[in-house]
Formats: sequence, structure tokens, C-alpha cells
Amino acid sequence: MTDRYDVVVIGGGHAGAEAARIAARGGSSVALVTMARQAIGRMSCNPAIGGLAKGNLVKEIDALGGLMGEAADRSGIQFKILNRSKGPAVQGPRAQCDRDLYAEAVQNLLACEANLAVVEGTVRSLLIEGSRVRGVLLIDGRLLTSSACVVTTGTFLRALMHSGEEQSPGGRFGEPSAQTLSDSLRMLGLNLGRLKTGTPPRVDRSSVDFGRLVPQPGDASPRPFSILTDRLELPQVLCHLTHTSEATHQLIRANLHRAPMYSGQIAATGPRYCPSIEDKVVRFSDKPRHQVFVEPEGLNHPWLYMNGISTSLPSDVQDGVVRSLPGFEEAVIARYGYAVEYDFVNPQQLEPTLKVRGIEGLYLAGQINGTSGYEEAAAQGLIAGINALLAVRGRQPFILRRDQAYAGVMIDDLVTQGTEEPYRMFTSRAEHRLLLGCDSVYERLTPLIEELGISDIERLRRAAGRRSRMRAACAAAEQAVLTPERGTTEWLGPLGIVLREKTTVARLAQRIPFELKDFVTHCREASRWPELTWAVDGLSDEEREGVVNELRYAGYLERQQREADSLQRVEAVAIPGDMAYELPGLSRELVEKLNATRPVSLGQASRIRGMTPAALSLLRMHLHQRGRRADGAAGAVGKVSRSSARVGPEGQSDRSGSVRSSG
Amino acid sequence: MSSGDPADTIVAAATPPAKSALALVRMDGPRAHSMICGLANREPPAERVATRVTLTDHGETLDDCVMTLYMGPRSFTGNDLVELSLHGSPLVVENVIRAALRCGARMAEPGEFTERAVLNGKIDLIQAEAIADLIDARTSLQARMSLANMAGRLSNEAAGIRERLLFVISRLEAALDFSEEGYDFISREAAGTILDEVIRLEETLAQTYERGRATRRGLKIVLLGAPNSGKSTLLNTLVGSERAIVTEIAGTTRDLISETIEIAGLPVTVTDTAGLRASDNLIEVMGIERARLAASDADLILYLIDTTVGRTVADNDELSRLPHPPLVVYTKGDLSSGPVGELAISALRGAGMPELFCELDRTVRDRFAVRSDSPAVVNERQIAALRDGISALQMARETLETGASEEVILVDLYRGAEAVERLIGRIESEEVFAEIFAKFCIGK
Repeated sequence: MTDRYDVVVIGGGHAGAEAARIAARGGSSVALVTMARQAIGRMSCNPAIGGLAKGNLVKEIDALGGLMGEAADRSGIQFKILNRSKGPAVQGPRAQCDRDLYAEAVQNLLACEANLAVVEGTVRSLLIEGSRVRGVLLIDGRLLTSSACVVTTGTFLRALMHSGEEQSPGGRFGEPSAQTLSDSLRMLGLNLGRLKTGTPPRVDRSSVDFGRLVPQPGDASPRPFSILTDRLELPQVLCHLTHTSEATHQLIRANLHRAPMYSGQIAATGPRYCPSIEDKVVRFSDKPRHQVFVEPEGLNHPWLYMNGISTSLPSDVQDGVVRSLPGFEEAVIARYGYAVEYDFVNPQQLEPTLKVRGIEGLYLAGQINGTSGYEEAAAQGLIAGINALLAVRGRQPFILRRDQAYAGVMIDDLVTQGTEEPYRMFTSRAEHRLLLGCDSVYERLTPLIEELGISDIERLRRAAGRRSRMRAACAAAEQAVLTPERGTTEWLGPLGIVLREKTTVARLAQRIPFELKDFVTHCREASRWPELTWAVDGLSDEEREGVVNELRYAGYLERQQREADSLQRVEAVAIPGDMAYELPGLSRELVEKLNATRPVSLGQASRIRGMTPAALSLLRMHLHQRGRRADGAAGAVGKVSRSSARVGPEGQSDRSGSVRSSG
Repeated sequence: MSSGDPADTIVAAATPPAKSALALVRMDGPRAHSMICGLANREPPAERVATRVTLTDHGETLDDCVMTLYMGPRSFTGNDLVELSLHGSPLVVENVIRAALRCGARMAEPGEFTERAVLNGKIDLIQAEAIADLIDARTSLQARMSLANMAGRLSNEAAGIRERLLFVISRLEAALDFSEEGYDFISREAAGTILDEVIRLEETLAQTYERGRATRRGLKIVLLGAPNSGKSTLLNTLVGSERAIVTEIAGTTRDLISETIEIAGLPVTVTDTAGLRASDNLIEVMGIERARLAASDADLILYLIDTTVGRTVADNDELSRLPHPPLVVYTKGDLSSGPVGELAISALRGAGMPELFCELDRTVRDRFAVRSDSPAVVNERQIAALRDGISALQMARETLETGASEEVILVDLYRGAEAVERLIGRIESEEVFAEIFAKFCIGK
């Protein structure tokens, strides 16, 4: 039996759902192959969407026509903007979600797509003809042909779960592993590695003494992720906080030999930034306690998610660890934590479109590329889906720049540097961070989907409306002039604003504190600047913040944009796909690195770790001689790498990447 | 593009083209070893072992010489490098270079060997500049200063600054990306304290520029004074030869006459000028104009007053017009004694000269000579990077003070860190590289 599609997406997790939906929206016929229909959109780990830097990814996904924001809004039971006290560029919206409602929302959103068929089954192998993907073969013998295929298998490739000394094949609790697809990928010449991740125990809610926990409320006025959401429908609930103690740590230390990561049972690398509790106890032995966030798995869900004590210790130790936490003295674990080991594909083998280099039509997205997190997966799924769609239509690929989106930073990092541990998004990975705030995503990104020809009329309409309202308000603020004459200074008095020279409301907004809403109310009472009051009244809270931010950070934004633009000259020097790097004068080590990444531009080459100015200048010279787009892009030879400045929660420098020259 | 292709094999004489006992020729690049072993007609010897070979080209003997191979990256340039110690005949050198060119090497651009060393990360830009300065050194103090920077004295200072900055940057980044972890990465006060320290360090370094520059370039001392106040006599005494014509006729010196001497380890150019007075003589007027121009550009002015005449209204007028306070010297002390407490000399008799030398030595040492215990910023490029860094960090400091969020402070901190990188030369536009290396002589 053969079914014909334009695009086949393997996997129905966060990456697969985005890839399938955007490709279907763009008019392709899409099959989403999943082991179980009801597992689509399942939250395998924590019941939350967003967070620092991750929240920006969700907003980017929403601006580009993805579904994660909408699904989180439909299932969110606690919304909170993290880093609220800091600037807009680094604030991260986060929502605690009802796990079941989230999956349901994703499934419902997919069900709306007429071009999208969900196929239940397990993929045996990819069908490759020459250097082109032709479809997939399922274990039950069914054949799905397609001209593009997006592989989003998450942690399921040759997955092995560890709980104490026990091991069992499987990608998620109670779900099987995909054993044969890895071979199919290996046979294409792809280089696979092994990673590890883990999940904490879930505790029966009724066994916990909430009186001993510290309540953690969400924001008073919760703000949705999606521009399409008018109202959040679900009741908002509390999270709670507890902590480990010396007793917890002693228990863990005494049982370390039974932890698979320490007994040698797991050799794969785990996420440094999301360490297991046994990791934390060993690595940060000077910390007397670690925070544990107690998060509801849903509105009526009987379980609690123990955020902060991810573990693969044996169940008797997990019982002891949980019961050592204040409020959990009588706690009953409903499901024990476990670690999972899985295959991933070194993402340096991908192009910036997430297409496998050398295989037409084959795209990889999500944890299979070595990332961790729903948001990272979803953003890749969306970009891979868009590119699969464009390839099917024979159109130019879609690549986000590093100064355009965190998604652009992430994908560039992955395909350029590869990764040795599960990659997580951080704001510090983005050198043009100030340009990438959540408050400007619709202005930055939504116009791009219009160019892609993906029909999303309501989103475009809303984004355009938002854009013109914000623009009008900014313009009105620029035009509202204040002079330090008596009437004006006295009028400003109650607001605590001191005026020494002629200025505009736009410049007033650069002062801290300045509350535009209060200012405009004050204006209205005095009938000053009706254009300004009218324009600001028309803004939503989020839009008003966007306007203030734009006015307040104008100087910094301009500077970062200039920096970003100047780097574009190096980005513009393309490296042909058939480039042979075995040039005299290039060290063997660099040739290997260049061959591993096969950068598409001189800019990408400059970001390869260990790249020297000499090697870069040699490449430039060689490209110049080849006579391809040699436009004398000289520019600054480098930047301080952001990765140099990253430290773990323990506050120790990551010495692996010190300030490097590149560029 | 002015810098050459790093994939080329380059060749140049490393010693001047003159008859000498030995002459050095260097070859660098991927084919340097194979080319030279071809000419030596033998397998490559072990690296870093001086090996006697006979170079021949098409049956013609070029020289019987000593060759040393260096394997990249364990070489000055980081590439495969050859050093040939030839017999010091310009003709032999020319023949060997010609043979290398026939093998496919090309002539090195000025400074290209050092440029390769920098590009390959063997040395940093400060060290490369110090090599050039060492070669140009005219005094032992200049040489000492260059040797210190070659050994990394300034680079080490910069590295220390960079490390402190990275410490602050990394903790502020952590405060942004891990704000939910419940850790205190760095307090604003602590960040401010470190930034203040870094700014202070950079400012201290920037203050060494005056001395570094003066020591590297040397000083200009201009002798000024009324006609017949003894300027030319003093010049002759200072340089120890009859450099300027001395007569009793006022206004003998018309043009500028310069000679270089060494004071406190600095090359000092002493310039004799036309005596200052109102004149109708066109040549003399032009000479006086030049004298004033020279004074405006001088690091130190010696204003000479004839003891027998004493300080005149015209002297007072001239003194008030000087760009900076001069050292006033009363001359012809053998004929009459100067005011009490003022420096008086008789250049002719030598009286007061030790005191004058002492005074000059003290002035140069106090104000211009690089201190042996301190690093020194020596050129315009270095000070420009340093000043950029200071201004970026001062901005960061102010932003920190206003209570702004970390990501805004970080924008300026990264600029500050980039300025330090630029100082070390690890990131530098290629134009600047080309400009710097054009100043080297070939083969260095």
C-alpha cells in the first residue's frame, strides 16, 4: 500500500507538530507519522512552556505562524514573565500548563489543517534514491512517498531508560524506542552520537503538606504568548517552593554508586545546565541546599512535578530524597524519575535550513539535533517545516540571521559548532541580544511569513495593526515637545518630572522611572497632545511596553543594529558547496573542522571555534581568486564570543571558550 | 589587498645587502622545506639542527652554507620555516633568492614573516610592534623598552585586564540567564568595584603613553632666545662638535640646525634657531618664523638669556608666548654672573655645563623616559584602543550606577572587552594589519 504526500514528518512531538502544521498551512500535503496519535504534543518532562530565552523562542514561533504559543495559551494555568525587573530584551514569558490540555490543544490545532493526515505507525527506514529522499517505509509495510521528510524523533532513537540499576528500552515512560531508524540514518553516512537527559519524580498531590511550602504565584495580570489569543480561559493556580537539605545530600552521596551516571552505566553526556540532583550534589558540594519548584501537572491532575530533582537514582533512594524535603515527609511518589539515553545526529552535518547536507529533501529537527527543551525543538521544527515546504515548491530556502531571532542564533550555533551536550537556549548566546526582545517579534518576523506565501491572514492582520498602532504612538511621542516654561514645569510637578531644557515625550521616556500610562492620563486631564493620548489609549499593555522600550533603548538598539549590519559584509561572502578546504597553509585540524561544518559563508566559517585570522584570510583570498562574490568584505576581523562569558549556576567560568577572535 | 597570500612560500634576505661574514636568508611557507632540500639535493634533516649543505641550482654551486629547518607550528611564523646562513656576499644572497624564486617562492612583502607569526597566533600585535621598535632602537633604553614588550609586559597587563572584565561579564550574564536559580552571582557593588579597578588599570596604562611615546620617538629640544644669546655655542657644546657657525654677529643663525644626542636614554634632537627680534631682513624674518614653529612642536624649550644683557622686555614678551614653561638658561656666565638661583653656564669655559646636563637628564628622566618598572604604551594604535576601552567602561560604569539592567551594561562591557582584544591585536581589521606591517623592512 502506498500513500503519496509532499512532506512526511516523523514524530509528533513539539518539533514534529510545528513542522507538520506549517508545511500543511503552506499548501503541501503532509503526513505526520507517530507511534500513537494521543501522544502528539505530549510534554515528556516539565509541564511548562517558555522561560528565559525559551520564552523568546515561543514568541518567535508565534510570530512566524507556529502553534506552540497558542497551545500554551489554551492550556496555561500560571503565567509569569521572568526577569521582569530587567530590560525587555531578556524578559522571558513562561507558562505552567495543564499537561493533558496542552497535548489536546496541539492535537486540536493540527486537526484544523485540511492538508494534514496523522498516520499511526513506526518508521522502519527512510527511502533514499540517489541523494534524494523518496519517502518512508513503516514497520507494518506501508510506504509513504514524499519529496521531503522531516525527522523529529526526539529522544526515541535507540532510547534506553535508566532507573537505578534497571534499564529498559524506551523513549518515554511506557513508550517504545525507535530501534531501526538510527541504522537508516547511519547508512546515509551520518555520524551519530549519544546524549542523556532525565526527568524528576512525580509526587501524588494528596500526600503533600502544602502548609510547609512557599507559595509561588504567577503574574497578577497574566499575558498570553500568542497574538491570536484574546483571553486566557483557564483558572490560574499557584506553584510552590521547597528545598533540599544536608540530609538530602548525605543520602544521595551515600547512594552515588547506584546512580547510572556515576556507576558507569551511562556514558553519554547530560545537560550541564539542567543537571540531575546527584550532579548538583557532587558538583556544587559547597551549596547547603538547592531549590525545588513544585509544579502542578494540571488543573485536576493528581501529580506534582518536582522541578529541580531530576534523577535516575533507584526508587528507594528517590523515596528518601523526596521525603527529606519540607512538606514531603509523607509524600508518595506516583512515578519515579529516570534518565534516558538516546542517539542524536551531530548537527554540523546539516545546512542552516536543517536539511541534511548532501541529501535532498531530508530535514532533521528537535532533540535529534542535540538540543534540549520543547521550545528549542519547536523552533527547529518550524524552520525545518518551512524549508521542506519551500523545497517542495522549488523556492529559495528560509534562514534566519543571528540578529533576527534566537532561532537563528540556535540553528547557526548547532550547524556551525555542533554540540557535545544537550543544547539549551540562553540570551547570552545572542551577540545582538537587545534586538531580539519579545516585544518586537511581530515587527521583526511576521512580515517574513508574508514573503513566504504562507496564508495566515488573521495573524498578519493583527501584526500589521499592532505595528501601525505602535508606530503612531512612537511618532506622537517624538512630536510632543515640552519647553521648560512655568506652565509646563508646574504641570509636570505632580509626576515628579523635572524639566531643564526643551525635550520631547520620546526623550522623557528614556528617564527611569517613567510610566507612559500615567503620563498620558495626566495629559488627557490637561487636554495636552490629543494625538499622543489617542495613540497611547489604543495600545494594549504589551504594545505600550513595546513603545516605551523602543523609545527608551533607541540608542542601544541603533548601535546593535549597526554592529550587526557591519558583520553582514562577511556573511555575504558565500562559500560554494563544492569548496575543497585542503588548501596549502591550512592546518589539518582546521581543514577537519571546516569539512565537518562546511560553512555556507565566510561569516559562518569565522564562527567555527579555533578559526584563526590567518586561516580566515587564506579562505577569503582563495574565494576571491575563485571569483565568486568577492566584494572586499573586510570589516572587523572579530567579536568577543558570547560563549566565553557563560557560567553555570555555580558561577564558575566556562573556560572551554575564552574570548576568541573570529569574524 | 596588501598582505600576501598566506598559502605562498616566501623568501627574503634577513640581513642587509652588504659584504659581511655571514648573510641570513629566510624562507617560509608550505613548500619552504621541499624547495630548499631540492636545492640542497638531500632529504630534510631533523628540525632545529644546524646542518651543513651545499646548495646547487642546475649544476651550478650557489653556496656552501648552514641550513636550519623549523617545523610549523614550532617556528617563529608558525609555518614551516628555513633559515640559511650563507657567506656574506650580496651576490651569493641574490643567487640563492633567485633560485628559490625559480622553485616557485615569491619575494616576501615588508614585514610578512612577522605578520604570519601574528596571524598564526605565535605572537600578538603588541609583540610584533615591539620587534619593529627593537630593530629601530637607537638607544639602549629604547631597546630595553621594546624587549620588555616583546617579552609580553604590556600584553600581560592587557591579559590581566581582560580576565577581570571576563569575570564581571560572565557573572552578569549568569545573573541574566540563571536568575531563577536562586544564586547571587555578583552584587552591583562588587561589579562596580572591579570595573573601577579595571578603569584605573587602563588609565594607569594610558598614562604611560607620554613616556612610551617619548622614549620610542625621542625628544625635541629647541634652543630659543634673543640674537647672540649663545644658542649656537650651546648647541656645539651639547653635541661636542662645531656644528653651528658661531660669530659675534647677532643673527648669524638663520635656518634651523639640528643634531641628535642621547639624554637619559632617549634620543634627543637639539635644534638651534634664529635669534628672536624684530627684523626687516626677509631671510631673518623667515628664520624667526621657523624658530617659533619649531618651539611650538618642541617637547622642551631651552630659553637662553645673555647674562651680560640680562632679561629684557623682549625676553619677557617671548617667554609669555611659549607653549609651555621653558628651562631658562643664563649664558656667558664667564663674563657676568646671572641672577641668584638661576641656571648659569659658560659653554665656552664649561662652567655650569655639568649642572645643565644634570638638569636636562633629570627633566628627561622625570617627564619623558619610560620607567623600567612599568609597562609602556608606545604608539598611537595602542593608546587609541586603550582610550576606546576606557570610554566604553566608563559608560558601563555609569549605566551600572543608574540601576540599568545587566544586558544594557553588558553592551558597553563587551565594547570594553573588544577594545582590549584590539589592543592585543587579536581582532584587528586587515587594513590596520597591512598598515602596521608595511612599516617593517623586508625579511623581518
